[in-house]
Formats: sequence, structure tokens, C-alpha cells
Amino acid sequence: MPDGLHAAAAGMAAQQAWLDALSNDIANVNTDGYRGTRVAFRDLVDEAGATADVATRSERQGALTESGEPLSLAIDGPGWFQVKTADGQVALTRAGTFRPDADGSIVTAGGAKLEPPIQLPKDVDPSQVRIRSDGVVEANGKELGKITLVDVPAPDGLVAAGEGLFRPTAASGAPAPVAGGVIRQGYLETSNVDMPTLMTDLMQAQRAYQLQSRALQMQDQLREIANGIRR
Amino acid sequence: MERGLYIAAAGMVAEQVRQDQIANDLANSSTPGYKADRAAQSTFGDLLVANQLTGQTVGGIDFGPQVTDVRSDLEQGPLDQTDEPLDVALEGQGFLSVQTPTGIRFTRNGQLSVDAQGRLITQAGYPVLGAAGRELAVGSGSDPTIATDGTITVGGKTAGKLAVVSLANPVKIGDTLFAGQPGVPPKDTVVRQGYLEASGVNPARAMVDMIVSLRAYEASQRVIHAIDDTLGRGIASGGPVAG
Repeated sequence: MPDGLHAAAAGMAAQQAWLDALSNDIANVNTDGYRGTRVAFRDLVDEAGATADVATRSERQGALTESGEPLSLAIDGPGWFQVKTADGQVALTRAGTFRPDADGSIVTAGGAKLEPPIQLPKDVDPSQVRIRSDGVVEANGKELGKITLVDVPAPDGLVAAGEGLFRPTAASGAPAPVAGGVIRQGYLETSNVDMPTLMTDLMQAQRAYQLQSRALQMQDQLREIANGIRR
Repeated sequence: MERGLYIAAAGMVAEQVRQDQIANDLANSSTPGYKADRAAQSTFGDLLVANQLTGQTVGGIDFGPQVTDVRSDLEQGPLDQTDEPLDVALEGQGFLSVQTPTGIRFTRNGQLSVDAQGRLITQAGYPVLGAAGRELAVGSGSDPTIATDGTITVGGKTAGKLAVVSLANPVKIGDTLFAGQPGVPPKDTVVRQGYLEASGVNPARAMVDMIVSLRAYEASQRVIHAIDDTLGRGIASGGPVAG
């Protein structure tokens, strides 16, 4: 027999997971290169209720905004920038706020170096750097290297590592170069979540949570009435 | 034996089953491709008479209700636009085919994903099947385009076609999957990429059903009280027991 009390409780837990995901999205509504969280609701096997235990990332393209910075890069289409963090591990990101570090290497806002690395010569100012749509980096007519866009077979298997970085895992597969993405210099890809949609979703999640807490109360009332049979 | 007591108690049990089913529906009010359940009640007595005698239902004899049938309401749910490349919604009566460890199952939840081998999978990790029961390899890189007939194109090349089937006697088994006998692909079913079919649960209706059911449950309990009162009075006026 399905148990309504636990069904309602499981439903509330699932909505809670959605609320948590939405608040994370809202906090990152202005984070460049951010990809919205998507929770996957499903009903439970062998018992009543619902779960939202799998969270994936939205794959929609974010809007491109002009930043005017020479090392601001946006990807139009599929793919990720590949970087290497200080601990030597590879990470992927769509947040294109790059800058030169003290040695002239192009790094992310958090200091992770592009992989393969690209180093600006000492006499070159970032404003002299030209980055072509295919990723080739030039300064004063000299080629400095090429930014390679990569992708993994299963982006949902990537693990968020903070600062807009994602780590490849066994579940995501190894990163490999990908075609189809175009690099735009002087642009940034904004967060692919937007406030109106988030607020509507938030309202919906809240109402669903409320509704299920009503169902929980109903179940409690049923038991109270049953207990009242014998006065 | 006081028959009325048991009739009223059966009424309470039936409403409890209905409440549990509504709570389960409400818990899944955000589950894509979920289908609401409908509980049908009939009376014990009607069934017994129908089975043993003429095969027809004899009305008016009522020994209390029981929930005889819970079935899924397969009505088309509303389509929500998500713009996600791996979301598909079915418009019409068809189902997607999914390979699970216990055999081929069917779903209308088109929130799909790709695994490390590049196969199209459901959120529970089961491969989605194409024509002839083959898994669909969509690989990485450019996002697949899914046509309204279910044909998947990746980077200009056809990668397969979603096996959309009609389903006889669908039985809900959890994970938004159904078991049943697949039939020929339904003609009228259209695949919409970038959409999800919202849950078939109507919260307003569920809320009303829940209140109606609660009051029916309460009424049955009152009947038990009333019968108990009557019995008590009878015993009291009889003398010796009540002393």
C-alpha cells in the first residue's frame, strides 16, 4: 500500500532540492559563463513519492555582451576553454575573463593557466593582442599560440570546482578538441539563467512545497480521525 | 455482528487509499512526463453478486466500498519550453523506448542526457532506444537536432531515430517509466525538441479531491460513532450488561 505520509515528505524533499538549485542560480545570475542547474524530478520505484537527486547543467548558450577588454573571450557555440589549475589538474570553463599573470601567461580570473599555455612576450601589452575566431593568438603580427576549444562526451558528468571551473570525471569522459565553437574577443558570455524565469520557477517550487505540506497535514488529520474512533 | 460498523470502516480504508494516491500525485507535481493516478471505487457486495450469479451487477446491495482500480490518466500534459537541446516532449499518444536492466520500458519523460560513451540516456542512466532496439550514439561536440518524426541529426549526419511506440496496458513502475506491450508507432505523435511535457497532476484538482476525501473519511468515522451509540443504548436498556 502506498504511504501518503512518506510520499508527501519525499515530495517536499524533492522540491527542497529544486529550491536549493534555484537559490544557487539566483546568486549567479550575473556570473559570466555560468550555466544554470537543472534538477531531474522522477517518481520513486517501489514506493510512493518523488525524488530530485540528479542535478545537471543547462546547455543553453548565454547571451554575449561586449566588454571591450582585449582578453575577454566568449564562446559562441559548443565547447569549453581548457585550463590547468595550480594543483596541475585540468579543468574546463566558459567564463572568459582572462588576464596575463606576473609572467605574462594568460590565466583565468582565478589564476588557472590556459592549457596548452600561451605566454605574452614581455614587451607586448594585452591591448596589442589579437585573438582570431579560430583561437589563434597574435601580437604585432607574430603568432603566440592557439586556444583550443574542447568538449567531453557527457557534460552532465562534469563536477563543479568553483570559480566557474568544471573538472572532467570518469562519468563525463576525457576532454577532446571540438569544432563548431567560435571565439569572440572582447566579449563575455553572460550567465545563461535570467531573473524572470528564476523567479517564476522559485514561486512554482515554493507553491508545490506548500501544497505537499498540506498533503502531509491531511495525512496527519486522517490519523487523528482514526484515533478518534474510540472515545 | 454489526454489519454497519464494517461498512463504515471499509469506507475509511478506501478513502485512506485515495489520500495516499493523491499525496503521491502531489509529490510528483513537478515530475516531467508523470501521469496522475485515478482511484476507482466500487462496492464489495456488487462485486460478489456479480461474480457468483448472473454476471450482472445487482444494485442496491451495498456492503461497503473498496478501491478496485488505480489507473494512470494518460491525458496529454502541457508542454513547457526549456530550449535545452536534449529535452524532448511527445505530442500525442506515443512513448519513448528505454533499455533498463529488467527489459525495455517506456516513458514520456524526455529530459535526456548523454553518457561518457556518447549514448543518449534518461536521467536515471538508462539508454534511450532507436529503431530496431539499438542504442543511440549522439557523441560529443555539436548538439543534436531532433526532427518532429524523431530523427536525430548530429553535425549534418543522421545518428538514428527515436523509437516512439504506442503502448497497450501501460503500468506505472516508477522512474517515470511504464511497462506494457509496445505497438506500432502512432501516426499522430510529434517529437518536440527543446520542450518537456509537464506533470499531468493538476494541483487544484488534487487539492479539492483531497478535501472531499478527508470529509468522506470523517463522515465514515461519525457513522461508526453513531452505530456505537446505538449499540450502547441498546445494551443499556437491556439491563443486565450495563449495570
